[in-house]
Amino acid sequence: MSEAPAPRPPFVVTPGPHLRTSESTAAIMWWVNAALMPTTAWGVWVFGPPALEVILGAVAGAVGSEALANRLMKQRLTVKDGSAVCTGLLLALTLPPLVPWWAALIGGVFAILLGKMIFGGLGYNLFNPAMIGRAFMMASFPVVMTIGWSIPRAWYSRLEAITTATPLGVMREHDLQAALHLIGGPEGWFRLLIGLRPGSIGEVSVILILLGALVLLARGIIRLYAPVGVFVGLAIMTSFSGAAWLHLLSGGVWLAAFFMATDYVTSPVTRPGQFVFGVLIGLLTGLIRLWGGYPEGICFAILMANAMVPALDMWFRPRRVQAAGAPS
Amino acid sequence: MTHTETHGVRLFDLLTLGRGPDHPGPRKEATAGRPIEDLPPPAEVVLPLVQHLGDPAVPVVKKGDVVRRGQKIAEAAGSGVPLHASINGKVRSIDKQAHPTLVQAQAIVLARVAEAEAAGLEFPEDPDWRALEREELLARIREAGIVGLGGAAFPTYRKLRLPPGVTVDTLIINGAECEPYLTSDYRLMLAEARAIVEGARLLARIVGVRRVLFGVESDKRDAAAALEAAAKEVTADGLDLQVRVVPARYPQGAEKQLVTALTGRVIPPRSLPYAVHVVVQNVATAAAVHDAVRYRRPLLDRVVTVTGPGVAQPRNVRAPIGTLLADLVRFCGGLTGGATRVISGGPMMGRALPRLDVPLVKGMNGLVLLTGRGPFEEGYGPCIQCGRCLDACPLGLEPNQVSIRVEAGHATESAEFGAVECYECGACAYVCPSQRPLVQFLQVAKSALRKQRENLAAVTR
Repeated sequence: MSEAPAPRPPFVVTPGPHLRTSESTAAIMWWVNAALMPTTAWGVWVFGPPALEVILGAVAGAVGSEALANRLMKQRLTVKDGSAVCTGLLLALTLPPLVPWWAALIGGVFAILLGKMIFGGLGYNLFNPAMIGRAFMMASFPVVMTIGWSIPRAWYSRLEAITTATPLGVMREHDLQAALHLIGGPEGWFRLLIGLRPGSIGEVSVILILLGALVLLARGIIRLYAPVGVFVGLAIMTSFSGAAWLHLLSGGVWLAAFFMATDYVTSPVTRPGQFVFGVLIGLLTGLIRLWGGYPEGICFAILMANAMVPALDMWFRPRRVQAAGAPS
Repeated sequence: MTHTETHGVRLFDLLTLGRGPDHPGPRKEATAGRPIEDLPPPAEVVLPLVQHLGDPAVPVVKKGDVVRRGQKIAEAAGSGVPLHASINGKVRSIDKQAHPTLVQAQAIVLARVAEAEAAGLEFPEDPDWRALEREELLARIREAGIVGLGGAAFPTYRKLRLPPGVTVDTLIINGAECEPYLTSDYRLMLAEARAIVEGARLLARIVGVRRVLFGVESDKRDAAAALEAAAKEVTADGLDLQVRVVPARYPQGAEKQLVTALTGRVIPPRSLPYAVHVVVQNVATAAAVHDAVRYRRPLLDRVVTVTGPGVAQPRNVRAPIGTLLADLVRFCGGLTGGATRVISGGPMMGRALPRLDVPLVKGMNGLVLLTGRGPFEEGYGPCIQCGRCLDACPLGLEPNQVSIRVEAGHATESAEFGAVECYECGACAYVCPSQRPLVQFLQVAKSALRKQRENLAAVTR
């Protein structure tokens, strides 16, 4: 038996519970960023240095403006939690590779300031900040946002980036045949899967997006309800078009389904709510693509569905354990 | 007889508790394999006059008196229970001392004297102990100073005196020790299954029920088997004793959870188990009741798990009530270098103490010494609506919604999200990635709603 332990006051007195899980908000955000790395790397590989400039510009804009807003709002510096990086990165991944870097930077600034900080910062924003940034850019830089696409080719090839149109854009302007031609004929679905097609920087490789999503699913960071809802909704709506498979494999559906429809802050909290939210995104995306004014509609679909989240949270509540006739 | 039936929820859901993948694990490895060890009488004990919910006991000894272990040193007053000397000693003082829950409270301090000077009282078996009247049983339980030993410290005789109009058909003996780290009930079930079962039979007679359900978690199957064997040994006398194994998942041992898991009945908010015709007693309380009735032996010791990464040799210790926590820690090899926090009770629902020179009280089932920084030392973040607290809550409440309303100064708007039902198990705060003090937010909401109800009642009267 050893010496009497000195009472050694003071021990730390903190309120319970005294055990906590190790997974912090920052850890979750950095895991999401890490899960985006495969598709980010692919985007840089196939779209070359301009894509890297866009990514750096958007992330710098997002992080810099959050730090500035923290200072102006006399808040604790929150950029280390990884969420501003996530917003900047997600925004960049939805941009055409030939957007100038400074436009991406301005987009990142607006995404954070108008999408997040104006509401009070992380946790209080109603809309997905990255999508706010993208919508702002579509309004401000409409030309480059609609023609800034390039043909995928390896980073090291010396060719200048060749501008082109996206499969969805071609389908809109011409027809399904032309879109199929662009992606290399009827077997083009394979090119869509691995990501050899024109499109936004991070949306082209279905397989690499899935790889990241699997990491998040395995870690329990995201659930499948919203993503499945997105595909269900889009499949229902585009089944009228005769090219549902092309709709499901192109555009930003996969990136949006796994990385934006699952954003905690701007999606419902319960499982049924998340599924309905996803279906809503899918339906609205199909609606815009088939009958709206844009070839791709997922950005606005997400923003509209975001507006429904408070209502969905009220309609789909957790099941309460309750005694019959209990006083309420 | 009408029960409050479960509504809109299947028993299966309740047995599985929260759905989230992340919940506090048992962490009982350090002491689960260690039998109960007796602490030698310490040099000094501090016996607070309040170790229960109710009026303080009134001292019947004075400074300088020599008292024997087992002797009554303070008489019960009002709704309280009496207090007994837990060692042979001399009354050193009767004054304010540090208290684990009340910060400071009146206490009788005994300094140990040699066995030759004062020997402990003997407690021979009462041959008629099985045939006693109900009132006599209650009197002995009160006289022994017994309170709920699972942590609540509510005087046991008062819980057993059913309020008028209450009918009870089931007695539940709670052996679901769900707090992480704690193993005192588990080791007691293994060591004294017979006393627990006999105590349960006495309790069943007092409240007038035939059905007794022992609820034991699935990580303590050997304890369940020990109770089962003991239940078979004792003569049946018409009682229906059943040992039931329930899933081991925090907070299975909470009264509301266990009652529903065993009977399918849901206790309404702000109600006691009486509301669904059930009385719940902890296994250690049942054993103490047995000792009190059979031997007229007062509650002098209790089993406490001294554990956690902050103590050198975690143990299950049977120690005299009033033992200073520092003496318990010394018996367990002292503190490790990194010990930063002292938790009285379990780490989920227990409270942090600033010091170790406070006494072991009747309701303290664990002393957990933790290392590292405590929750909220680094502040907390905003709610990111991840929904993990919803998955963790065993009642399906919405701590996220309550917390943001309290933060916004709208605490009274949180009733529909379950602030009133919450019994503060802390499972939500455990999983919160933003380290939000959800239990404290719920407490704020609860007291705001209580105040609102009281004001409303005052106005409408």
